[in-house]
Amino acid sequence: MIALTTPYLWYTTRATGLVALILFTAVVSLGTLVANRIGGTTVGRFEINELHRSLSMVAVVFLVIHIVTTILDSYVSTGILSAFIPMTSAYKRLAVAFGAVAFDLILAVWISSLLKLRIKNSSWRFIHWFSWIAVSTAIVHGYLSGTDARKGIGLAVVVACTAVTLAAAVWRFFGRPTRAAGRTALSPLAQSVASVSTTPSPQRSGTSRPSTQRPTNKPFASSQRPNTKRGR
Amino acid sequence: MGVRRRSGSFILQVNPILCDGFGHCGELAPELVTMDEWGYPIITAEPTPYNDARVHESARYAERGCPRQALRIRRVSD
Repeated sequence: MIALTTPYLWYTTRATGLVALILFTAVVSLGTLVANRIGGTTVGRFEINELHRSLSMVAVVFLVIHIVTTILDSYVSTGILSAFIPMTSAYKRLAVAFGAVAFDLILAVWISSLLKLRIKNSSWRFIHWFSWIAVSTAIVHGYLSGTDARKGIGLAVVVACTAVTLAAAVWRFFGRPTRAAGRTALSPLAQSVASVSTTPSPQRSGTSRPSTQRPTNKPFASSQRPNTKRGR
Repeated sequence: MGVRRRSGSFILQVNPILCDGFGHCGELAPELVTMDEWGYPIITAEPTPYNDARVHESARYAERGCPRQALRIRRVSD
């Protein structure tokens, strides 16, 4: 193998690992915001969804750098196989195994999301649940193997990520998502709704406001609507 | 940057079984979608020409952004 003995690979591994942990925690939290239908007039629901998607891409980039530098670094004897298959690393076998499990699950979630328009939505949802296990194992991996995870800022990051993920999980489990009745936020893509020549004509008459009316930001009779949890 | 001309029209179709009332389509494509009082979309039945690039882009964003993949852009022959 190529002997890459520069310490900077190892520093990169440590730094990107920490950043990837923060980013994946943020991605999971944002996903919880989407699932609990947070967003309104200031920040639209679609914006949180887009941020969730974009940030997951950034997180995957950091994760790939983290893994590639670990493999390339000759200080630890972790090969390319150990990145995918648990318990194959000579260096910190159990800790790296957690990382491999997290990486495999993240790969599954990521690829299924890239193919989202082509696979069944129920399949995508089923795979997407595994992001909870992924981020949990990633935190365990970070604590067990992290050089910086036992003291100072590193420990603070691990504790904070654990707390945020737990809070998000509790909120996801007990949260009661609200419906988006009425207008919430308008996309910047569709700013000139009023000037569009083809004004929308509702299929069902009487259930919606006239299309010429300027959309209001006030939710429509939101207090009278019972909050339903995922059912219809 | 020329405007891509496409013949024909499209409609945005919602699968009412999959739709769970997230309301993203109403935000992403307000030209085509209005929300009923329960948060479910009412989509315009009139076909939109593909030449209306802005509306087509909104419709594509709505199709992509739907958390339940309940929206499809369908070409209608005319």
